Amino acid sequence: MKHMALRLAVPLLLLAGWQLLASGSAQAPRPTTVAEAAIAMLRDGDLLAGLATSLGRVFAGFAIAACVAIPLGIAMGSMPTVERNLDPLVETFRPIAALAILPLVILWLGSGSGAAIAIVAYAAFFPILINTISGVKRIEPSLMRAALTMGLTPLTRMRVVLLPAALPSILVGMRIGLGIAWTAIIAAELAVGAKSGSSGGIGQMMFVFYAYSIDLNGMVVCMIAVGIVAFALDRALRWALAITVPWSRI
Amino acid sequence: MSAPKIRLDCVSKSFGGSVVAVEKLSLDIRDGEFLAIVGPSGCGKTTVLNMLAGLEPLTSGTMTLNGKPIEGPGAERGVMFQDYALFPWRTVRGNVEFGLVYGPAGQGLSPAERTERVERTIEMVGLKGSHEKYPHQLSGGMRQRVALARLMASEPEILLMDEPLAALDAQTRVILQDELLRIWGQDRPATERRTVVFITHAIDEAVFLADRVAVLSSHPGRLKQIIDIDLPRPRGDATRRSGDFARLCQSIWELIREEAYRATMN
Repeated sequence: MKHMALRLAVPLLLLAGWQLLASGSAQAPRPTTVAEAAIAMLRDGDLLAGLATSLGRVFAGFAIAACVAIPLGIAMGSMPTVERNLDPLVETFRPIAALAILPLVILWLGSGSGAAIAIVAYAAFFPILINTISGVKRIEPSLMRAALTMGLTPLTRMRVVLLPAALPSILVGMRIGLGIAWTAIIAAELAVGAKSGSSGGIGQMMFVFYAYSIDLNGMVVCMIAVGIVAFALDRALRWALAITVPWSRI
Repeated sequence: MSAPKIRLDCVSKSFGGSVVAVEKLSLDIRDGEFLAIVGPSGCGKTTVLNMLAGLEPLTSGTMTLNGKPIEGPGAERGVMFQDYALFPWRTVRGNVEFGLVYGPAGQGLSPAERTERVERTIEMVGLKGSHEKYPHQLSGGMRQRVALARLMASEPEILLMDEPLAALDAQTRVILQDELLRIWGQDRPATERRTVVFITHAIDEAVFLADRVAVLSSHPGRLKQIIDIDLPRPRGDATRRSGDFARLCQSIWELIREEAYRATMN
């Protein structure tokens, strides 16, 4: 009970401070005006539709990233030759931020969902890959040896020892990847929106508020919504982690 | 005298060309005997076990099992590792049945027979009621029992054990030594026992458990002497208190004392 009060105290204090500071200016968004805007946007369905579009793209891009990064990470983690040859390539691309490849992606894929999904896939790919590689490399050698001495075939060893042993680390990579994917989609939609304004999504809604209607309250509503969704996604993934890998303390 | 179960003939092992871990080791291991290998640290005893398990190739010499050369790991040689190597994502039951479910040891067993054997083995090591626990929920002694049950469930011909009791406290160790002998079958006729190769650095443990103790010297690992342990079976607390037991421990200690001191001082 005391914890709950403490937890609520900080956001409430921030809100009060915000209201106080903003009351000096007529245009500045205030908690009260933002709340009004939020209710209106929820009522006409725009906010949820925008979030749904963005989430759909995130899940699509994230799924593509996971399908490529996990098998590749397992190959790189378990076969030194593969790692030696691919590591320079990965480490060259990794510092190139998702936003830095945006112009190229828009030129190739246009300004619709395709481009947004590609950006998300690129952004989520690296954390999943890096964590899968380290997860595979950090497997206790004696676990693989135990499986060897019990006469398991290589394929069975991979399925019933390597994969579950690396799973906690793979899931951590997925959790980080999903967080980054969500950050990347907003940025991508903001940028894509600048070009056509036809792609939808929460990022593009923000762009419309910024460039056309100059609605500061609407922009703040979008920002808060983005934060809340990110928080919910992370909590959902943490929960999924706790039930899929109960033996692991991550 | 029947042919040896396992024969090591002039086996050498070096790492990276220069470090000689084991040098010209020749040793016959008899069917159904409990052989302990002791020696100061750095005598290559774990290397010998890994070679027997097929996890490490020999640099030179030959190693045969039932007359056939050992080339790689095989389910007929079960290994118990020093760190137990339990699968943390599998419960006690999941660990014990592992070799039967995924390895060749379970071939020809019906699901019912498999379950029966897993249950029996878990009960044998005294873990009844802990089936659904994960390794991280168990004490060191219980984990050691899980590892022993996993080894026994596959019923390998040869049991290779690498300091399995080293990580335990003194009381647990004594209790598990007794249980190990019971599970191995010291009450049964010698022909029904499995062949055990047991690595340890504890001389009293080797003397208490084994039929023969192979003493290795270090840097490089060479066979110094094989001591016959003629203490009567079944052995128990009375054995530990006997004069013969103390005498045997003392004679082995004298064999390795000098090297053990040297290893500690360096």
